[in-house]
Amino acid sequence: MSRTQVKSVCPFCGVGCGIGLVASDNNIITVQPLLKHPISQGKLCAKGWNTAFGINRHGRLTQPLMKKNGKFRVVSWQQALTHIAKKLNKFISENGPQSVGVISSARATNEDNYAAQKFARAVLKTNNIDHCARICHSPSVAGLKKTLGSGAMTNSIDDVGKADVIMVIGADPTENHAIIGGQIMQAKLRGAKLIVVDPRKTRLAKVADLHLQLKIGTNIALLNGLLNIIFAHDWQNDEFIARRCEGFDTLKAHVADYNVEKVAAITGVKGADLVSAAKLYSQANAAFLAYGMGITQFVSGTNNVIAVSNLALSCGQIGREGTGINPLRGQNNVQGACDMGCLPNVYPDYQNSTDKKVREKFSDAWHTEVAKYPGLTSLGMSHQARHGNFKGLLIFGEDPVVTDPDRNKVAQGMSAMDLLVVIELSMTETAKMADIVLPAASFAEKKGTFTNCERRVQLIQKAVEPPGEARIDWQILSELAKEMGLPELMNWQTSEQIFDEMTQLTDSFSGMSYPRLEQNNGLQWPCNKEHPDGCRCLHSSTFPIGKGQLISVDHVPTDEVPDHDYPFWFTTMRLHFHYGCGSMTRQSPLLERETPNGLLFIHPQDALDLGLKSHQGVTISSRRGCVETRIEISDQVSPGLLSMPYHFKEAPSNLLTNNAMDPSTEMPELKVCAVKLVPLPENQPPRSSALSDAGIGVLQ
Amino acid sequence: MSNGNNMLNDSYLLQNLAVLRNHLAESYSLVQIQKDNDGEEMWTEQLGESNVPLFGHKHLPLASPKGFLFAEKEALYKFDGETFETILPQVVPKVLFGVQACDLTAIAYQDKFFEFDPYYQKRREHILLVGIDCESPCSNGFCAQVDAGPHVNSSTADLVLSRLKLEGANQLSEWLLIAETEKGLNSIKALALEKADEEHLRLRNKLLEKVKSEFIDYSYINNAIEYLNNNSIPIKLWEELSVRCLSCSGCTNLCPTCSCYSTYEIVNKKPEKTISNSKVLKTETLRVWDSCLFQGFQREASGHNPAQKAAQRVERFWFHKFSDEFLPEFKRYGCVGCGRCEQTCPGTIGVHSVMKRIDQECCS
Repeated sequence: MSRTQVKSVCPFCGVGCGIGLVASDNNIITVQPLLKHPISQGKLCAKGWNTAFGINRHGRLTQPLMKKNGKFRVVSWQQALTHIAKKLNKFISENGPQSVGVISSARATNEDNYAAQKFARAVLKTNNIDHCARICHSPSVAGLKKTLGSGAMTNSIDDVGKADVIMVIGADPTENHAIIGGQIMQAKLRGAKLIVVDPRKTRLAKVADLHLQLKIGTNIALLNGLLNIIFAHDWQNDEFIARRCEGFDTLKAHVADYNVEKVAAITGVKGADLVSAAKLYSQANAAFLAYGMGITQFVSGTNNVIAVSNLALSCGQIGREGTGINPLRGQNNVQGACDMGCLPNVYPDYQNSTDKKVREKFSDAWHTEVAKYPGLTSLGMSHQARHGNFKGLLIFGEDPVVTDPDRNKVAQGMSAMDLLVVIELSMTETAKMADIVLPAASFAEKKGTFTNCERRVQLIQKAVEPPGEARIDWQILSELAKEMGLPELMNWQTSEQIFDEMTQLTDSFSGMSYPRLEQNNGLQWPCNKEHPDGCRCLHSSTFPIGKGQLISVDHVPTDEVPDHDYPFWFTTMRLHFHYGCGSMTRQSPLLERETPNGLLFIHPQDALDLGLKSHQGVTISSRRGCVETRIEISDQVSPGLLSMPYHFKEAPSNLLTNNAMDPSTEMPELKVCAVKLVPLPENQPPRSSALSDAGIGVLQ
Repeated sequence: MSNGNNMLNDSYLLQNLAVLRNHLAESYSLVQIQKDNDGEEMWTEQLGESNVPLFGHKHLPLASPKGFLFAEKEALYKFDGETFETILPQVVPKVLFGVQACDLTAIAYQDKFFEFDPYYQKRREHILLVGIDCESPCSNGFCAQVDAGPHVNSSTADLVLSRLKLEGANQLSEWLLIAETEKGLNSIKALALEKADEEHLRLRNKLLEKVKSEFIDYSYINNAIEYLNNNSIPIKLWEELSVRCLSCSGCTNLCPTCSCYSTYEIVNKKPEKTISNSKVLKTETLRVWDSCLFQGFQREASGHNPAQKAAQRVERFWFHKFSDEFLPEFKRYGCVGCGRCEQTCPGTIGVHSVMKRIDQECCS
């Protein structure tokens, strides 16, 4: 009957807004914004405001389920864990540790993620640990590691308000990082100049001073073109380059080839606009550069990031207030999942897993042998499964069937595995395909930490009990470790114990503790001897690798381009009102009501040319699969370019997408492929691609 | 305004607020503003512990007490396959202790809107409202300009507290306590309280003038209200402002007078037991706060939408807050001058931003 309030952090995007959870009778009944929170300052976006629906009791899994004869039956935790342990041990002894793996959740806490990689490395003895950063910002991590030595957002969110020029490339912050998007709009109102580089006319593009509506997949040509102009006019920051960079001469010679005419032809952007953008950015006192999937999700993703870095370094727009290279990390804790080492090639705090000294350090700390051989990425695990070499997978809080590229391949991979265990809040499409489904506790039902895009580690608090028999990710892994013969290894009683274990094994977090996080509204890593109170602006005097590296990169065409059979460009996007696979946001009747009738965004001219009526049903196909949905006529896209959000399981855009990979990171080219469009007969409604309860596809 | 004589009859002096608080806590669940270590202020239900209450000046929590009356989410009725059954809220008596003038004005406004709503009224009749006069302006507030403060309007609370600062005051505060309703009077009957005299009432009025004088005169607000009612605002201006509306619903959630809601059904797919041979669908119908800024808010089943464009929705919101057309029914504007929308809007189109821009545009 009475209401209690608990302060926490929003579970959706990487902004990390403060949110108050109001509970009554062990149910979250509403949320409230927090005025004193340094980032959100009393604001929330539509997703944040609808948080309570996303974790409501009604839609939740409450008991372990095991699939028998194609149907899920309730089993006890003991039955489930015994079964899983038995199978995993079998695979390891028969096929080696390479045949099993873990996908951790970028939405779960740092503690959950630390536990996941510890379980993989110390119990399964495998480096097959990955998460969705693979398909999101892995090129940022890899690219910026090469150029600067560190892959995280270099500045802080409030640097937006300190910039006189803001450049946004391949990101839609008003929709996906709405509070940051709002701050960008406010900066513009206060006189900052805004440059948007995007093939779509986003909301920010509408209010921008300059919208460079480039052809999809031409980022490097555009960025090299900007550098060409900057060097030609001598607009670069010579002092910064001399003092803090290496490779200038080579880069300058390299981009000489990217003259304005050539770049205008490749990108479709007018020469005059390229010059204006180059001048604005390079001549700004402080230029804040933010970017997203429109830079990373390409076969040239890592190189795209390097091109961005070249621009910022050459203009000295880094290491100071109001500047920076700022990848907008998408999920509430994807930064944390990376930081905690849920990547095959690194341990927590990016300590190299191929380094013998690092392995010894963790082996000593954990009192057991750790994984020896290099690990597979999530796409690698799927690939090996399809070839019969990968047998068992634990997936925490991730729905690859909806969110990963080339859905048919993903489904094949899942079906091929002998054991698929999915730990989830609700019955997602991926959960439907599992052998075992385990009920997980949500963010409101546990204590722990999230790390937002500006490296701020913040505490979340428990507001209500988990429903039914749902458990926290780290508790499940702790029990499983016991089942598999290592009872002391992960025998934690509280999340704080996990956090403290982690801080002792890392440098960037060594100065953090729960009491310190509570006192300070969180702390931004690195938080160590050098930066005892955390660090809001990285690289102010030196880069982790010493001098910033200017590395020449070339424009490459996308893996697929439109041709006679598949004449349209196809790209993916997000809508403001939904998040990821939609498993949480679609539980809100208010957000679901905002879902457009049509999910295929098409330019009015294209619709006219094809004789399509508003909201007409169509079949869209690519070389990989096909989807039926309705069209949504929009001036956001340009003629020849179609776009779909990926949140909707009944029309999963990933049936179409290409998983051709960026060679250094295995990032799939989610942002572009070629499709064809065939109208459905009038009055024939599109068929749903949602899986049946047993996980069987209807359409395919 | 109350008749001076009546007011004097039911006016008392109080030296120690705890006396009143503790007395009321005997019969009511105590709800008051609490501040935490981060300085966050929230309307909190006290579960037995005594915390120092915060009052009036500079302590306007971002979330008003609206949710205690108009629930954010509540069940309305259920259906078992044969019968519909109303689910009225289970309530205990609560005292909202220390509600500011703006929020009290808003509650009175919602009392009118929800006059025939059994769910709202069930909660309402179990709530005792103890208001408090504000002693200084809050950061975005302009209650005086819309007749919603800074002192409590007598018809909007059961009890009113006003801190009297006497000339040459010592450290101790003296509170004027006025019982405005029968319910209010009954709630303090058992307390032996010293009666106040004319002098104290006059002092309260003097303090009111002093507080009012400290408010910034946001003349653009009065100007913009005039332009709005004269239909002088060009559509282009709404289009410019509405590009920044993200439909986050923050304004409507925090606005203490906003009352729009939506209903939806939860269907239990697996009923516990079947009744005879009929398919038993157990459904529960709930209502939740809605927002007119959502595109789907007014969309009809055919797909037609009278407020398809964001510009239309944003214009409609301000119309509802400042149009004279609502005066006959509500006797006042929908806006109580609390300024919360300004704080919570990520798109910088809260009341100050909008009214300033309207004044700027229509003035030229």
